Amino acid sequence: MGVTLSRWTMSYFAAALLSLILGECLMTAGYGFPSAPIRAPQTLVLVHLIAIGWLSLLLCGALFQFVPVLIARPLHSNSLPLPTLVLLVAGLAALLSGFLQLSGTIDVGAWPFPLAAGLLASGFALALYNLGRTLWQARPLPLPARFVAVALLCLAATVALGATFSLVFAGPVHSEALLAITAGGLPLHVLAGLGGWLTFAAMGVSYRLLAMFMLAPELEGARPRAVFWLGTGALAVVILGGVAQILRDVTILPALCVGALLGFAALALYGADIFYLYRARKRRIIELNSQMAALALISLAAAVALIVVLIATNRLSDQIGAVVFLAAFGWLTGLGLAKLYKIVAFLTWLECYGPVLGKTATPRVQDLVIEGRARPWFLLYFLSVWGATAALLFAHATAFRMANGVMLVATLAIAVQLLRTRLLSDLTAEVPLPDGAHRPHLLVSLPNST
Amino acid sequence: MPQTFVDLDVRPILRGGGEPFEKIMQTVDALAPDEGLRLYATFKPVPLFQVLGRKGFAHEAREIEGGDWEVLFRRAEAPVEGEASAAAEAPDTDDWPEPAQQMDNRDLEPPEPMVRILAALETMESGDVLQALLCREPMFLFPELAKRGHAWQGGFEPDGTTYKILVRVGEGQKPAA
Repeated sequence: MGVTLSRWTMSYFAAALLSLILGECLMTAGYGFPSAPIRAPQTLVLVHLIAIGWLSLLLCGALFQFVPVLIARPLHSNSLPLPTLVLLVAGLAALLSGFLQLSGTIDVGAWPFPLAAGLLASGFALALYNLGRTLWQARPLPLPARFVAVALLCLAATVALGATFSLVFAGPVHSEALLAITAGGLPLHVLAGLGGWLTFAAMGVSYRLLAMFMLAPELEGARPRAVFWLGTGALAVVILGGVAQILRDVTILPALCVGALLGFAALALYGADIFYLYRARKRRIIELNSQMAALALISLAAAVALIVVLIATNRLSDQIGAVVFLAAFGWLTGLGLAKLYKIVAFLTWLECYGPVLGKTATPRVQDLVIEGRARPWFLLYFLSVWGATAALLFAHATAFRMANGVMLVATLAIAVQLLRTRLLSDLTAEVPLPDGAHRPHLLVSLPNST
Repeated sequence: MPQTFVDLDVRPILRGGGEPFEKIMQTVDALAPDEGLRLYATFKPVPLFQVLGRKGFAHEAREIEGGDWEVLFRRAEAPVEGEASAAAEAPDTDDWPEPAQQMDNRDLEPPEPMVRILAALETMESGDVLQALLCREPMFLFPELAKRGHAWQGGFEPDGTTYKILVRVGEGQKPAA
C-alpha cells in the first residue's frame, strides 16, 4: 500500500539532462537543422538525442515515480527500470551511430540500425510492460492515468515505426508493406512520438500536478473527458488511419486533416481546462514550477497558433522545423524543466527527511531550493527558445545558433540548481542532518519502505 | 476552577520557524494548582489539546485578530476527551476508540498534510486514533505509517473529493515531550 520512492528515477533524470545539454551544444555548434536539411542524418542525430535521450528518459523516469501516485497502486517492479535504462541508453547510442554512419562521419559496419532497433524496442517494451502491468491492476483508470495509457500505446506505435525504418535502412527487409511504411510513414512516426507519447502524457500528468501544486480542484468533468476522447480520436485517426492509407497506397493527407481538426479541438478544450485550473487555484502565490509551467503552456498555445497560421498561408511544410522546435523546447522541455525543479526537491526532501518527519524539526521542501536564483535562468531559457523559433521562421541560421547558445547557458544553470537541490546545498540554515535522516545519493533513491 | 492565567505567546517562536512545544510544557509544569495557561499561537494548536487534556486541562480556543488563536487551558476535574467524531467509521475500525484528535488538511499544499499528520501522531499514545481530512489519497504517507507501526483506514467520503483517514497509533509509542 502506498507509494515508495522509485529507485532509479534520479538516474533517468541525470541521463536525460546530459542528453539535453549535449543536444544544445550540437545545435549551438551549428550541427544539423537548419544548417543541414531537415531530413539529413545530422538532424536525425539531434532529433533522437532530444526525443529519446532527453524527453523519453525524463518522461519514463517521471512515470515510474508518478503513475503509482495517479492510480494509488505501487509500481509493478521497482527493479526493472535499471535494465530498461541501460537498454534505452545503449539503443540510443546505437541509433546515433547509425545516423552518424549515414552522414559519413563514422564507418563501423552494418550493425548500428538493427542493434538500435533491438535495444530500443526491448527497452521501451520493458517500460511498457512495467507501466502497463501497473495500470492494468487499477482499472477503471482515473482520467489522468487514461491519458498516460493512451500515451504508452502511442509510444509502442512510435517504436514500431522507428524499428521498421531502422531495419529497412539496414537493408535486409524486402517486404513491400514495410518499404511503403518507411517511404511514407515519417509524419506518423513524428506525430505518434511528439503528439501521442510525449504531449498526451504531459497533458494527462499536468492535470494532476497543476491541481496538486496550486491547490486547484481536480478536474474530472465533461470537458477533460472530451479532451481525452478527442485527443485519443485524433491520434487513432492519424496513426491507424495513416498506416492504413499508406498500405492502400493512397495519400495520408485526409488522415492528417481529420486528425488535426480533432487534435485542435482537444487542445483548445485542454487550454480552457488549464486556464480554469490557474484561475480556480486556492493558492494565490504560486511556486516557480507552476509559474514556469505557464510559460510552457503558452509555448504550446503558440505552437498550435503557428501551425494554424502556416496552414492558412500554405507554408507548413517549409516551416515544420520551427513548429517542432517550439513544441519540443518551449512546450515539452519547458514543462519538463519546470516540473523537474519541483520533483527533484520533493523526492530529495522525502528521501532525506521522511524517516524523521514529526519527530524533530525538519526543513520544508521549499527550503531545499532558492527560487529567486533559478527564476532568471528559467526566464532566459524561455526567451531564448522563443528567439530561436523566430530565427528559424526567418531562416536566420546564425541567430538560431546564438539563441541556442543562450539556451545552453540557461539549461546548464538550471541543471546546477537541480544538482544543488539534490545535494542539499541550498538549505538556508546550515543545520546538521537530524539523527535518522539520510543524505540522498545523487543518482539512486532508497525506497522509503520497511 | 482557576481564576488566574499565565500568558504565553509562542507566535514569535512559530514565525521564526521554531518549535514551541518544549517551552509550552515547561510553562505548564511550572503552573501553580490554581493557575491556567493562556496561549497565543499562529494556528489552532490541536495537538496540544490532547497532550494537555491528559494532564487534566480543558481547553477553550478562539480565533483572534490576524488569524491567530488564543487558547485558555483550565484545570478540569478529570482528564478531558478530545473532540469526538460523529462520522461513520469503516467496518474494520469498529473496535477503534473515537478519534482523540481531528485535523482538516484539505487546504494545505502537499506535503504539508503528511508532515502535520506525522507530527500529531508523535504527540499521541498507543491506541489513540487520529482523524484527518485530505483532498487526495496520501500515497507517500502510507509507507511512513507502516514503518512506524501505525494502523490506518482511509477512503473517499461520498462527496468524492474529501479523503478521510483514521490512523491508530502503534504499540509502544510514548508521546514526544
